[in-house]
Amino acid sequence: MSKKVDLSVNYCGVQFLNPFMLSSSPVSNCAEMVARSFETGWAGVSYKTLVTDKIPIFHPSPRMHGYNYGDKRLVGLQNVEQTTDRGLKPNLRDITWLKKKYPKHIVMASIMGFCNQDWADLSKAVSDAGADLIELNFSCPHMTVEGSGAKVGQVHDLVQKFTETARSVTRVPLVAKMTPNISDINEPAMAAKRGGAKGLSAINTVAGLSEVGLDDFVPRPNVFGKGAISGYSGPAVKPVGLRCVAQMAQNKEHGLPISGMGGIETWVDALEYLLVGATTVQVTTGIIHYGYRIVEDMIEGLSDYMASKKITRVKDLVGKALPRLHETGDFDVKRQGIAKYDFDKCVGCGQCYIVCRDAGGSALEWDNGARRPIHDKDKCLSCMVCSFVCPVSGLINFKEMPKTWKRKETLTLG
Amino acid sequence: MDDGFSYDQALMEAERCLLCHEPPCSKGCPAKTDPGTFIRKFRMRNVTGAIRTIKENNILGGACGVLCPTCRLCEKECSATGIDKPIRIGKIQRFLIEHSWQVGFKTFDNPMSTDPGRQAEKIAIIGAGPAGLSCAAELAKSGYSVTIFEEREEAGGVLRYGVPSFRFSRSFLKNDLRDLEDLGVKIKCSSAIQKKGDVEKLLEQGFNAVFIGVGLWAPISLKKVPEDDSNIFSSVRFLETFRQEKFKELEKVCRGKIVAVIGGGSVAMDCARVALKLGAKDVNLIYRRSYSQMPAEPDEKIEALEEGIHFILLNQPTDYCRDSKGKLKGINLIRTRLAGADSKSGGSAAARGSGRRKPVEIPGSEWVMECDTAIEAIGNKAAADSGDWYPSVSVNSEMLVQADKETGQTNMEGIFAGGDIVRGPGTVVQAVADGKTAAKSIIGWLEKKRLKPAGYVSSRKEKKV
Repeated sequence: MSKKVDLSVNYCGVQFLNPFMLSSSPVSNCAEMVARSFETGWAGVSYKTLVTDKIPIFHPSPRMHGYNYGDKRLVGLQNVEQTTDRGLKPNLRDITWLKKKYPKHIVMASIMGFCNQDWADLSKAVSDAGADLIELNFSCPHMTVEGSGAKVGQVHDLVQKFTETARSVTRVPLVAKMTPNISDINEPAMAAKRGGAKGLSAINTVAGLSEVGLDDFVPRPNVFGKGAISGYSGPAVKPVGLRCVAQMAQNKEHGLPISGMGGIETWVDALEYLLVGATTVQVTTGIIHYGYRIVEDMIEGLSDYMASKKITRVKDLVGKALPRLHETGDFDVKRQGIAKYDFDKCVGCGQCYIVCRDAGGSALEWDNGARRPIHDKDKCLSCMVCSFVCPVSGLINFKEMPKTWKRKETLTLG
Repeated sequence: MDDGFSYDQALMEAERCLLCHEPPCSKGCPAKTDPGTFIRKFRMRNVTGAIRTIKENNILGGACGVLCPTCRLCEKECSATGIDKPIRIGKIQRFLIEHSWQVGFKTFDNPMSTDPGRQAEKIAIIGAGPAGLSCAAELAKSGYSVTIFEEREEAGGVLRYGVPSFRFSRSFLKNDLRDLEDLGVKIKCSSAIQKKGDVEKLLEQGFNAVFIGVGLWAPISLKKVPEDDSNIFSSVRFLETFRQEKFKELEKVCRGKIVAVIGGGSVAMDCARVALKLGAKDVNLIYRRSYSQMPAEPDEKIEALEEGIHFILLNQPTDYCRDSKGKLKGINLIRTRLAGADSKSGGSAAARGSGRRKPVEIPGSEWVMECDTAIEAIGNKAAADSGDWYPSVSVNSEMLVQADKETGQTNMEGIFAGGDIVRGPGTVVQAVADGKTAAKSIIGWLEKKRLKPAGYVSSRKEKKV
C-alpha cells in the first residue's frame, strides 16, 4: 500500500480518517459494536436512530428477509426494523463513551422525532452527549408510528420545519437523510437546506416487496401472517442509490456535501459513490452479509487504486464522473458500433446465439459442427446482450464502426 | 454409499452450467436423459419439471446418476470444461432423484396414455435388468400392457445382484421399481423363461411382442472350476452372495485371509473392495496389463488403491495351485510385458481388443502367489443354453442375440432384444438406451400392424422405414 495516499475527508466541516461509515441500522446499535467497528477500520458511524422514550418502539418479528438470486445469497435485503429499541439514556451514554474512547472517530447521531418538540429534544440531547454530527432521519419507509420516517421525507414543508427546529437548539452540523421513494429527490434536499442542513445523506431503503410465500400467500418477511411493503437494500439497489446521489450532487443550488449509501460492499462500490459526488459512504447490508471486516478491503482497495491513478486525496475523486453524466438527448448517435468476437476464447456454449436471436438483432447464426456462432456484423444492434451472457470475460467487446458503415434493416414479414 | 448433493450443493453446481444451445452433454448421454434440459429446469426453479425430464427420459435416472461413467459420457462433452471443470451432471441428476423421494413427487401418478387399443396389446419382457425395465417403462408410458418375467427372486438384474451396496443403495432401485408399478408394469419374479422355445411360446400365448433383455450371467472362467469349489468364486456368485447379505458365508473365505481377485474392470474393483470390507488380510488384484489399461473407471481404481487393495499388474494367471487335499493355496502367475496395440475388431467379444497394448508373457518368469480365496472377475458371457430359450432367434458363436443395433429387431418377427445379451458387456445407461430404442420399434411395429392387419408381410427392410 502506498504511503502517499491520504484517505481522510472533510464532511460538513468534520474531519474523517477515511470515507467509510456504518449507517444507522442494527450494525450501529450500541457502543460495544461501534467500538469494534472502529477498531476494524471504520472511520465513523451513523448511530442507530434515536427516539424519545415517549412512544415505546417494538420491532416486528421476524425483522428481515433475505432475497437470493440462484445460489447467490442476499443480493437484496428486506427489513421491517424500526428505530432503536434501547432507551434514550443508555444510547446517549454510549455516544459519550464512544467519543471519549475514540476522539478521532466520528459519531453522527441519527434521530427521528414523532412531533416537532421531539426533534428539538433529541437534537439537544445528542449534542450534549458529544455527537459530531446529527443525521435527521426523514426517510425510513416502514415506521409503525404514524407521521414519521419517509412520511415526513415526502412532505417538503415538514422536512424544512423539523430541520429548522433542530437548527434552533444546536450548533452541531445537521445532515438530512433522504428517501429514494419520491419523484425528485432534490425537492426535499432543497427543503432541508432551507431549514439549515449542512449536509445530505442518501439513500434510505427503497420501498420494496421482495418475495411472496407460495403456500401461505404472505409477502416476506412473514410477521405472523402479515407482510408489508418495507425497506429493501443491498447490492440490488446500488443503481438507485448512485442515481439519487448523482442527482443531488449535480444540483448546484444547494451544493451540500453528500454521504452516499445503498448496496456498498467493496471499495469499487464505494469509489463509484465518490465518483458521482459522495464525500463519505455508509454501509449496512454489506456488513449484515460479511461483518465489519470488509472495511479492511475497502481501505486497501481504495488506497491501491488511488496510488495507481496517482491521486493523493479522496477529495480529488469526489464527483469526478459528474462532468460525464448527461441527459440521453446529448448522445452522439451518429457514432455506431458492433459487438466484436474473439473466437479463440470461445468455449462453444451458444448462449450468445440464443439471446441474439430471441432478444437482439438476430445477427448470429449457429455452426453446429464447430459449436461456434457466426456473426453477421451488419445486423448487429450493439445491444451487447451477447456479452452479458458470455461466460468468458473479454471474448465479446464493443467496437466502433467507421462513419460510412450502415446497419442492415430488420427483415419485414408481410 | 457416499452422500449425494444437498439442495444447496446441487444449485451451486447448476449455477455453473452455461445453459448451452443444443447442449453437448445431452448428446453425450446414450439414453438421452437430457441433462441440458433438466439442469436448465432446475436453474429456473422448475424442480419438479427437472425430475420429470429425467424420469420420463430414463426410468433408471437415479441408478444412472450414481453409476454412470459420466466422465466419458455427458460430462466429457460439457462446455464448462473450456472455462474450468465440467458440471458434475451425475451428482445433480442423483440429487434430483433423491429430492423427488424427499418431497414425494411422483412422475407417473397419472397414466400417460389411456388408448384402449394399446391397452389391449400385451408385451412380454424377459429379464428385469436395466434393458428390460427401461423397455417396459417406455412401452407402459405409451399405454401398452407390459409383463416382465424375471428368473430371480427379485427385480433389478445387475442393479440388485451385481453392484455392491457401498456403491449403489437399493433405495434407488426400490423407487424406480415403484415408478414402474405406477406405470402399471407387472413384474413376475421367479419366472424363468428358459425351457426350450419358451420365448416363442409367449407369442403363441397371446403376447403381441417380446423383448429379450436377459443379460450376461455365465462367468468366464480362467480354468474350468467346479461350481461348488468353496474357495474359488466367479464375480457373479461372489457379488450376488454379498447382495443377498449372506455375509457369514463370505466372511468364512475372506476374514483374515489372502484374497486374489483376477481382472481389472469395475466388477473386479467391486469384488476386491467387498473382500476387504469383509475383513480380508490382503487383497491382491491381478491384472495382465498395466494401470492405465485397466477398464475400471479412474475414480474406482483410486478408491480401491486408497482402501488398501494391492494391484499386481503385468501378471497373467495361468492356473490354480492346490494342496494335497485339493484346497486352493495359490495362483500360478507369469509376468508380462506390453507389446504393440491389439486390434479393435475381430475375434470373440471376450478376446476382442480395444486398441490397448497387448500383454506378452515373459518366458521363465513363472511364480506362485499365495492365496486362500480367488475371485474371477474376467467377464461374463451368455448362458450356454440360452439359444434354446428362443430357438427361432439368430445368435452368434458367443450366444449373443443378433439384433439390429438401431431398432433392437431380431430376425424373428415380434421378437426384439437389447442390452448386454446383444452388444456384450456394457454400461447400465447403454442398456437403458437399448431398452428405449427397442420399445420405440416395438411401438412402431405394433402401430403399423394395427393399421394394416391383413396381408401384412414381415420384412426387416420395411420395419426399418
